[in-house]
Amino acid sequence: MPNGGSNSAAAVWAVLRKECRSEWRTLYGLSAALLFAVTSLTAVSMAAGRLADRTDILAGLFWIVLLFATLTSMSHAFVREVEGHTMLLLRLIASPTEIAMGKLLFNLIFLGVVELVLVPLFMILMGAPAPPWGPFLAVLALGTVSLAASSTLVSAVIAQTRGRGALFGGISLPLLLPVLAAAVNGTRELWGGHPIASSLRLLAAYAVALLAASLLLYDHLWED
Amino acid sequence: MIWRITLFLWIAAAMTFGLLKAPLVPVLEETTRVLYFHIPSAWVTVVALGWSMLHSILYLWKRDLRNDDHAAAAAELGLLFCIAATVSGALWAKAMWGAYWNWDPRETSIFFILLLYSAYLALRGSIEGDEKRARLSAIYSVVAFVAVPFLIFVVPRMYDTLHPNLIVREGGRMKVEMDPMIRWCFLAMLAGFTVLFFWLQTLRVRVTRLERRRQLARG
Repeated sequence: MPNGGSNSAAAVWAVLRKECRSEWRTLYGLSAALLFAVTSLTAVSMAAGRLADRTDILAGLFWIVLLFATLTSMSHAFVREVEGHTMLLLRLIASPTEIAMGKLLFNLIFLGVVELVLVPLFMILMGAPAPPWGPFLAVLALGTVSLAASSTLVSAVIAQTRGRGALFGGISLPLLLPVLAAAVNGTRELWGGHPIASSLRLLAAYAVALLAASLLLYDHLWED
Repeated sequence: MIWRITLFLWIAAAMTFGLLKAPLVPVLEETTRVLYFHIPSAWVTVVALGWSMLHSILYLWKRDLRNDDHAAAAAELGLLFCIAATVSGALWAKAMWGAYWNWDPRETSIFFILLLYSAYLALRGSIEGDEKRARLSAIYSVVAFVAVPFLIFVVPRMYDTLHPNLIVREGGRMKVEMDPMIRWCFLAMLAGFTVLFFWLQTLRVRVTRLERRRQLARG
């Protein structure tokens, strides 16, 4: 096929635009995620109080709040298509890999928006000292990429099962536990003023491995 | 039949020598003896999960349900051996470290693996239709196995662990020189457990196929 590269880039872009547009129309997913994020943050903040001097605990709480706040809304990527009976139509216009790539990019943007609200709010409510922003954002970004990659793939798998949403958390979390462990460790070292190169390397390697495996597997998501 | 009896005698002999005859490693003392059971279990876990991933890839490539039977059976057996390794490790930790569970990096890793493959089996249970189940769980199995090398090889080496590493060579030489008697008992157990796994694997696969045939006969 001539021009295959630019064609599939256009398809990915089209899926991404479609996702953004349908999200923008209702803001259903985003409002649910933000509401859940703020509520769970409130619950944690009220239960634990301000922990300005316990950055080791803060690091753990931060990632748990982030993971649980985002996981609940990540399953929608494909479940919504199945429930709205639009999956077949979407598959007519784009290949599985293009659809999944578009959804992956959308999930990345989505997570970025949620984090934009959640991170400052967490710092204020928990009384967290300002971390060194460069390394902090690096840990956050790498964690986000792994989160988006695994939830895009798992969401596509889950959408074809009986349980759908119910299974999503249970199936995604085991995949994300190494990310959680490395990210919490990195954030803790960061606040403690220690070097975090090894955590960053682990996060980056895991993100790349997840992305590479996903790219190879997207093609098998649906039977033709 | 004959080789099943041989396998039984082989493991029994290695275990007996290991438990009664083999010398002890200083510091570890009597707890040395767990290594004849614990390390082969952990090793078989990795072999089984690798076998499962290999057959998942083969399934995605060839779309032959026989590969899926192997992938599912190996994941189940891997989980079984993983539980054996976890429990024997926890018992050893109680004796050496004073607590059954302490979230040492090794303990964390093996627990993550338990969760991963429990999730795999939960996923299998929730999909209807043989081909769909095979395809979707193969996808998950491959992604799950991406995490395994990180958990087994990377994490325990990055963070401080108290876990002894008798067989890992550092810079080309043994950290602790293994007594030849310990080494032979250990290698014999390792071989015995590996053969045991492949035997159980063929049994499990045969049961799955018989079940499928019965279902087809019923209609």
